[in-house]
Amino acid sequence: MHNARSHEFMTRAVEALHDETLRTALGRAKDGFVLKRRLAFDALPEYEQLRDRSVAIKNHTLEHLDHYLERYEQAVIRQGGQVHWAENAEDAQRIVVEICRKAGAKSVTKGKSMVGEEVGVNAALEAAGMEVVETDLGEYIIQLAGEPPSHIIAPAVHKTKGQISDLFHEHHAKYGLTKRLTEIPDIVNEARQVLRQKYLDADVGITGANFLIAETGSNIIVTNEGNGDLTNTLPRVHIVTAGIEKVVPTLEDATTLLRLLARSATGQQITSYTTLSTGPRREADFDGPEAYHVVLVDNGRSAMLRDEFREMLRCIRCGACMNHCPVYGAIGGHAYGWVYPGPMGSVLTPLTIGLREAKDLPNACTLNGRCAEVCPVRIPLPDLLRTLRHRQFQHHIGTRRARWALGLWSWLARRPGLYHGITRWQARALKWLSGRTGRLKAVPLAGHWFKGGRVLPAPQGETFMDAWRRREKQS
Amino acid sequence: MSAARDKILARIRTGLGRGTLPRESREALDARLDGAFKPDEPLRPRLPDKPLAALFRERLESVAGTLQTLHGEPYIPGAVATYHASRQVTGPIAVAPSLQDLDWSATGLEPRFGRSHGEELLCVSRAFCAIAETGTLVLLSGPENPTTLNFLPDHHLVVLDAADVVSHIEDAWARIRTRDADWPRTVNLITGPSRTADVEQTIQLGAHGPRSLHVLLINSPRRS
Ligand code: SF4
Repeated sequence: MHNARSHEFMTRAVEALHDETLRTALGRAKDGFVLKRRLAFDALPEYEQLRDRSVAIKNHTLEHLDHYLERYEQAVIRQGGQVHWAENAEDAQRIVVEICRKAGAKSVTKGKSMVGEEVGVNAALEAAGMEVVETDLGEYIIQLAGEPPSHIIAPAVHKTKGQISDLFHEHHAKYGLTKRLTEIPDIVNEARQVLRQKYLDADVGITGANFLIAETGSNIIVTNEGNGDLTNTLPRVHIVTAGIEKVVPTLEDATTLLRLLARSATGQQITSYTTLSTGPRREADFDGPEAYHVVLVDNGRSAMLRDEFREMLRCIRCGACMNHCPVYGAIGGHAYGWVYPGPMGSVLTPLTIGLREAKDLPNACTLNGRCAEVCPVRIPLPDLLRTLRHRQFQHHIGTRRARWALGLWSWLARRPGLYHGITRWQARALKWLSGRTGRLKAVPLAGHWFKGGRVLPAPQGETFMDAWRRREKQS
Repeated sequence: MSAARDKILARIRTGLGRGTLPRESREALDARLDGAFKPDEPLRPRLPDKPLAALFRERLESVAGTLQTLHGEPYIPGAVATYHASRQVTGPIAVAPSLQDLDWSATGLEPRFGRSHGEELLCVSRAFCAIAETGTLVLLSGPENPTTLNFLPDHHLVVLDAADVVSHIEDAWARIRTRDADWPRTVNLITGPSRTADVEQTIQLGAHGPRSLHVLLINSPRRS
């Protein structure tokens, strides 16, 4: 099963807030992502129209998902490939291991695949005695560190140069590379050198898919490093792992989405490499894999079609929502405890591993709405998070104290006179408590709220209603 | 087919609140899929008003690619030799069989024609077309143009005919569909050299693929 640690969210979030190195790394990344994305869309007047089109394409595909998946499957088979269907993570693991076993694989290279992370392909292959090497530099770094990704497009965003250098020093000695590296070009070069041999030695290459094309039976991957291409070209067997929602009807449909994907993710017009793979190598080809397999993964997706969470299936995994999330920006991806962090993860994780296991995630949101504003496919993430909170309340999930407080609040909110009286008293008391600083570092009965070093700006001593009345009188 | 397949498809239909689609609906969807019916014309970003080859060059250079113009295919081997010398490339080079008929004898390079196994630091391939919108080269796999040439060398040189620069990504798809051959195993859209920003968001060229991408644009004076 999944080895999620989402139930530890509170503790790990507090730890993250005290981790200075992490905060430096996150701060640097966030500014870069936000600025680059904005510049890219400033230069694209068609942005809003492209978003509308993308929403329409995704909605159309989801409404007819059964048909497009069948057509996609036919096209893959026509091109000489094989399609496997996995209901859940265990199915997917079993299918991938079986294909690798049949191919007599000893060594497997992997291009970055979030579905691969989701279903835990690496652990399964290693348990079956195979060597698995992540080839995306970020994924490679966290594989050495034995950590899950902390961002869906920049998995090692939480690591500093010094930490990466230490990891290479520790793990590359066995290749005779013992120099401690301090410069980024040297770090990248050493990874290039080590991984080059891995690509050439690999028996099987596993990639994800950004899109599956029903028209041609192709999968599309977008990368900047070229690692995905070495992974899907050099080994004898190419396996694609993809969620069932990745299918789109035509190449034109994928193109519309591609125009938003790279801009939303990294601020690029298009990534260095956008690659369509269709079936195995053709008879006369000198290179390319001899076999092509696609593993279509459901793992909870089909169940999301039935209600408002269908909207989440439009997600193209661009990462913009987490880049603009103040909570993610403060605590990073690991606190979320599973493979998908940030706003999209706070929706997906409870739906996939359970609302109880991930009970804190829907609540780790200020409902500021930035994520929905930047989401290229207009997923109403805050609304979905609110729906999850509602479900938690209905299913009696959450601490007794929180439920009691919510109950009290709703009782009070229905009694305006009492409500105004109490809030007036509260505003005054909090102002008095804050003293001259205007900031609260502790409040009676709310000690744990301030544990992460949080500071609350104090009210100015007057409620909104009072201020309003006073102004009315003045004018 | 497999039980899992049937279960997943059934769950999808339950989720959508319907059974299998009636034949008319499926036919309508297939018409969209096969291009017989287009719901909307693709929304193409407006491009600046300049010749496609010039726009292609501009956008290629903005992502650290380089380009030189040649007045005919016979100049290709010489240009490759000059590049080879100027970058102090050592060891053998590999060239796509589609360029085998050119006269390489005077260059002293002794290229290998075919795929790469990783020993060559410089490879030359031929682009199927290029996209001005994004500064992208489109390369198709096949015995004439092995994919390994695109990713294993340090220096990737790509021959492109100026007449093959199209305006938008969709135009490239249309060209691949109408060419007189089966769909290729691999279609590579290549936009600049390999890069990574995985170490502290600092862009570094040459992560796993080529460190440099150089286009030889063939612009025969006869045609233009
Ligand atoms: S939810 Fe939207 S913004 Fe977030 S990763 Fe998915 S597509 Fe991108």
